[in-house]
Amino acid sequence: MASEELTVSGPGLEMDTMFINMGPQHPSTHGVLRLGLTISGEVINKAVPDIGYLHRGTEKLMETRSYQQCVVLTDRWDYCSAMPNNLVFCLAAEKLMAVQAPPRAQALRVVMCELNRIASHLIFLGTYGIDIGALTPFLYAFREREMILDLYEMLCGARLTYNYIRIGGVAADLGEDWVAKCREFLEYFKPRIDEYDTLLSFNPIFLARTQGVGVIPRESAVAWGLSGPNLRGSGVDYDARKSEPYCGYEAYDFDVPLGQTGSCWDRYFCRVQEMRQSVRIVEAALAKLAPGEVMAKGVPKIIKPPAGEAYAHVEASRGDLGIYLAADGGAAPYRLHVRAPSFLNLAILQEMLVGRKVADVIAVMGSLDIVLGEAVR
Amino acid sequence: MALTKEEVTAKLLARIPKAAAAAVPVRDYPTVRLAAASDLLPAARLLKDEMGFTYLEMVTAVDWLGPTSLAGFVSSRNPNPFTDQPALPPLAPAAVAGANYRPVFDLLWAFGNIPERLKVFLRLEVPRQDAEVPSLTGLYPAADWQEREAFDLLGVRFTGHPNLAKILTPDFLVGHPLRKDYEHQPDLYDGK
Repeated sequence: MASEELTVSGPGLEMDTMFINMGPQHPSTHGVLRLGLTISGEVINKAVPDIGYLHRGTEKLMETRSYQQCVVLTDRWDYCSAMPNNLVFCLAAEKLMAVQAPPRAQALRVVMCELNRIASHLIFLGTYGIDIGALTPFLYAFREREMILDLYEMLCGARLTYNYIRIGGVAADLGEDWVAKCREFLEYFKPRIDEYDTLLSFNPIFLARTQGVGVIPRESAVAWGLSGPNLRGSGVDYDARKSEPYCGYEAYDFDVPLGQTGSCWDRYFCRVQEMRQSVRIVEAALAKLAPGEVMAKGVPKIIKPPAGEAYAHVEASRGDLGIYLAADGGAAPYRLHVRAPSFLNLAILQEMLVGRKVADVIAVMGSLDIVLGEAVR
Repeated sequence: MALTKEEVTAKLLARIPKAAAAAVPVRDYPTVRLAAASDLLPAARLLKDEMGFTYLEMVTAVDWLGPTSLAGFVSSRNPNPFTDQPALPPLAPAAVAGANYRPVFDLLWAFGNIPERLKVFLRLEVPRQDAEVPSLTGLYPAADWQEREAFDLLGVRFTGHPNLAKILTPDFLVGHPLRKDYEHQPDLYDGK
């Protein structure tokens, strides 16, 4: 059922508007986000997202840290999926230093990033269900996510902020039975995705709340710079893993799921399908994992890349995560800029909420799957 | 008709007066340096309307004044409870001999052409004092928040931006933190 889109204007109507503050402390804002909504009855006249509550100034902090210390800070952007954050910074630094990670390290990077994508999409699936009013899927999603976090704990001792991918490779090789444990998880996980479909994806109440709601047309998705499942949900085929493959993604066979209409449900379902593709990639990567070095030769203890500028971007769980790195030849990055997908995905709210019902705000905002730690860095 | 990196650069150089291939390119990507702020809008229009670069990937700027001043970090207050030392940044950046420090903001825009899988960078140097460049919000809504971010953190003014307000830093914060000479002004969280 499509929600009506109304535009309310005319003399005298301003008298009837009401301003409501949604957030900064609101269970569905997934972080600290304030939405200033001006509503007229049930219809939103104006929406002003207010961010910055979680701004920690990592770009400035990195200017006084060595390159290895910066990797630690990258974990804190998108704390629901930290591996791609590690990866993109290392790729940018490696571009400047003209270093390439050995094949085994590249395969491990792919495995870890794809597992992280599954974990991150599971958080989305669970919390989006809660936002809409379906409490049960959350428990299932977090049960599976917990297993991925256990795998990470076996790998590097950390569950959220890994600092595993390092400049020149990865921090350590796999433990003895890691691959077996990971395969065990994948076998367990595959039928679970069908379970989510029956629980949530095709649940009539969920469909009624999300299908046809919060439609983002292709053109505006591109114009507002959306990326990741939010862009692909609108049917735009853009995935950094395909357009500019890194870490050997060109060698893996996987599909890029696209949505049809760009509604909340399309964005949701893109993520569910992406989990299946991630399973495929992890399986293929584990199958061809050959023994070898995990750290490139000749990465110095004190990294001083030659002066120059590099841009690296990866398909993180939430979209196209880019790092622009300018080096002056010193031991710390001269300037680092993060192109954060959540930051750009949020900006469209000010346009797309206007004219919609106030009850749909949560459905729309949840479907964008933002992490404020990344949006404000 | 497939576009190539070289064709994009050639077309920009031919159509935009005094544009040149950047001396320091963004590695592996075509990078074109504009000569004046007035060239930005024609270049963006050319990219968007004639070459299909409808995706504004990134807007940012670099302050090339020199190494980061440590006055931007709070070090005297907020002492470390485990030692008697105040909290200090782990590494004091020093000037590197031969680095091209100059009092400019080097602005950088990244445009993407999604079907052709191409990316091109435009760059423009403006003086640090009263830095002003035209806003791209009219062509690309994605420029809205990214320009606000560059304004907030570096103090570059984007003329024509409909709402050039602070976005990331708190309202009481004075100055633009990513400027290299930024000095922290004590505020209510410093016990003032």
